[in-house]
Amino acid sequence: MNSDGERAQAFVGRLLQNPALNGLTLLQREEQILQFLQVNAGQLAPTLSSNHFFPGKNWQQIVSLLHEQLYKATDEHLLPDVDRLVREQIEFTFIHLLRQQHVDDAKLATEVSALVKKLLARPEFRRVMTGPYTALRHGVVDRYLDEVFNRKTYVHFELTKVQRLRLGKDEIRQYIQLNMLLKPTIAMIKLPVQNESQQQAGMVQHQFAEKVLRLLKKELQLLPEPVLKSAVDANVSFNEHRFLEATARLSAIFSARSRNYQPNMKVDRGADSPDKSWLNVARRNYKFYGFDVKMLDELYKIAAENMW
Amino acid sequence: MTRTRSTLENIVVVAIILVLAQTLLEDLAILLGWSVSTREIVLLAGLFFDLFFTIEFIARCYDAYRYRRLSTYLWYERGWIDFMASVPLLILNSGPASIALLAGGASITGVGGLLNVLKVVKAIRIARVLRLLRVLKIFRRIKNTDSVMAQRHGATISAITVSVFVFTLLALAIGGTIVTLANFESFYESRAVSSLDYIVSQDLAEAEHAAALQQYAAADPAILQVLQGGQVRYSRYDQEYIDRFYRDVDFALVSSAATDIALWIDLSPLNREQAATNLRYFSVILALVLVLVFVYSPHFALTISDPIHVMRRGMQEPNYNLEVKVPSEYRDDDVFRLAQSYNRVFLPMKDRAHAGDDAESSQIQLTDVRDLLDDIDES
Repeated sequence: MNSDGERAQAFVGRLLQNPALNGLTLLQREEQILQFLQVNAGQLAPTLSSNHFFPGKNWQQIVSLLHEQLYKATDEHLLPDVDRLVREQIEFTFIHLLRQQHVDDAKLATEVSALVKKLLARPEFRRVMTGPYTALRHGVVDRYLDEVFNRKTYVHFELTKVQRLRLGKDEIRQYIQLNMLLKPTIAMIKLPVQNESQQQAGMVQHQFAEKVLRLLKKELQLLPEPVLKSAVDANVSFNEHRFLEATARLSAIFSARSRNYQPNMKVDRGADSPDKSWLNVARRNYKFYGFDVKMLDELYKIAAENMW
Repeated sequence: MTRTRSTLENIVVVAIILVLAQTLLEDLAILLGWSVSTREIVLLAGLFFDLFFTIEFIARCYDAYRYRRLSTYLWYERGWIDFMASVPLLILNSGPASIALLAGGASITGVGGLLNVLKVVKAIRIARVLRLLRVLKIFRRIKNTDSVMAQRHGATISAITVSVFVFTLLALAIGGTIVTLANFESFYESRAVSSLDYIVSQDLAEAEHAAALQQYAAADPAILQVLQGGQVRYSRYDQEYIDRFYRDVDFALVSSAATDIALWIDLSPLNREQAATNLRYFSVILALVLVLVFVYSPHFALTISDPIHVMRRGMQEPNYNLEVKVPSEYRDDDVFRLAQSYNRVFLPMKDRAHAGDDAESSQIQLTDVRDLLDDIDES
């Protein structure tokens, strides 16, 4: 092989073909490889910096070369897929109902898609995008929302009576999906230094969310402010801010759930189903992650009844 | 496991299935009165299998000895079952029977008293119950759970149950050959002796009493032939029929020391009774093993090994966050109380500990890319 770039490309290409990554979304795969490089740095560094691989380069240089090739390989499929998700999966009809005026769907889609694709250049954005992207790819919201509307209990009440969304089930689904897609925009500016638990939980303070909202409004001028606010509020802890939109609280839960979501995960005999397990753990850690525990309770019951 | 070893293990499994069928057929052949030639084929098949399993046992012993684990094989891997289900059968059952067959029969007829004859017949048959131990050999290969502990536990319970059953039968049968109790055999013997005494006392073997002899002998189904001075005075069946359906173990000679009169006694009712008993034993053992495999082992897995397996994975693998399913009916079991703590305390704590730090949770292992490093190195 000639250049370092080609070697890095070959290495990354082979890693991406690893059978352990089958069934994962593009961003989950990318994250797995980033973690692999980080975890095994001690063993990989001496080999990859030898004369056979990347002679004369230190580990930091090699890693940035590999990251660059990894992002490139992922983006080759990810960018068109994001475009497809925005244009085909998300329908913007609910925007017309919220604004009481017609906005061209294609323009909305172009604006959203362009921003997301632009932000995908930021590694922090890619990292927080993994959960929402996986949720959208696997339709995680859809099946829960169907049950929520069948039950018409707490979550339904919060959506329709507290947040006062005068929308049908499908429109609310689109709302939440767009909410999730825009939730990672919290990483459009450098995240502030926070207390350790907030940082671990991936939550930000309300003031920071408002700062991001101001920037976001400038980027996405066609979308109504409540939609954008709900998207950035999905990063704020419900414990600190009790007036978070129901869509924001749901988006936070679904995004976190979907981060490691695998649709055809083999469940060991004697183990509970993946969603039920995750939601039960989340119920116990709701304060840590800033989730709405009543929503978790309802979603847990749905998962338990459906063996999800 | 190497390919050769795997092939050999598969051959052994096939042999076990076949030998279980052969064991059934051997008793069925007696019970249904199959012809001598068919029974001899089944008998020789039994010899082949006993020989096969004896060789298998010796080979396993040698293999274990080579790696200095002979006692582990014999005691912890149930090598003693392999032994009991092979060597004694070859020495006590199929070996002597086959030698007698190949030598032209008469392994029983030379023995004096009828009861002694019956005891010898019975002693040879006793060893056959050991064949039922082979059910355990096939059980070892039924892996309805991934847990090594569950498999070993199921195998141990089965080995104990079946062995206790078989060895109790064996002990009772051996005891029965030593202590003569009033039973079907002693009744059969006393009836045969009485028949002989009656024929001798009434001179029924004399030519002038031929009609009376015919009438008397025909009424006693145990009498196959009546001889006087080597001459057949009465025969229940013609010689062709006897040759076709009677093996050496199916009849015995009762003779009077004072006269030259002798009776060939038909032992096939006794043999059929024994075969029916063997089939009953076989059915009981099969039912026991099936219940242990398909009812008890899954129960053990559900209540012991599965929850432990889930908790072990949860503790070892950073990415594994599934809870243990706690069945309400077993929630007070120690294992499930531990599982509840695992669900309520450990998993949430683990989740918090790993929050925002996914570095440990890569699904790709370094070993997965070892060849990749070599490939790129070569290219």
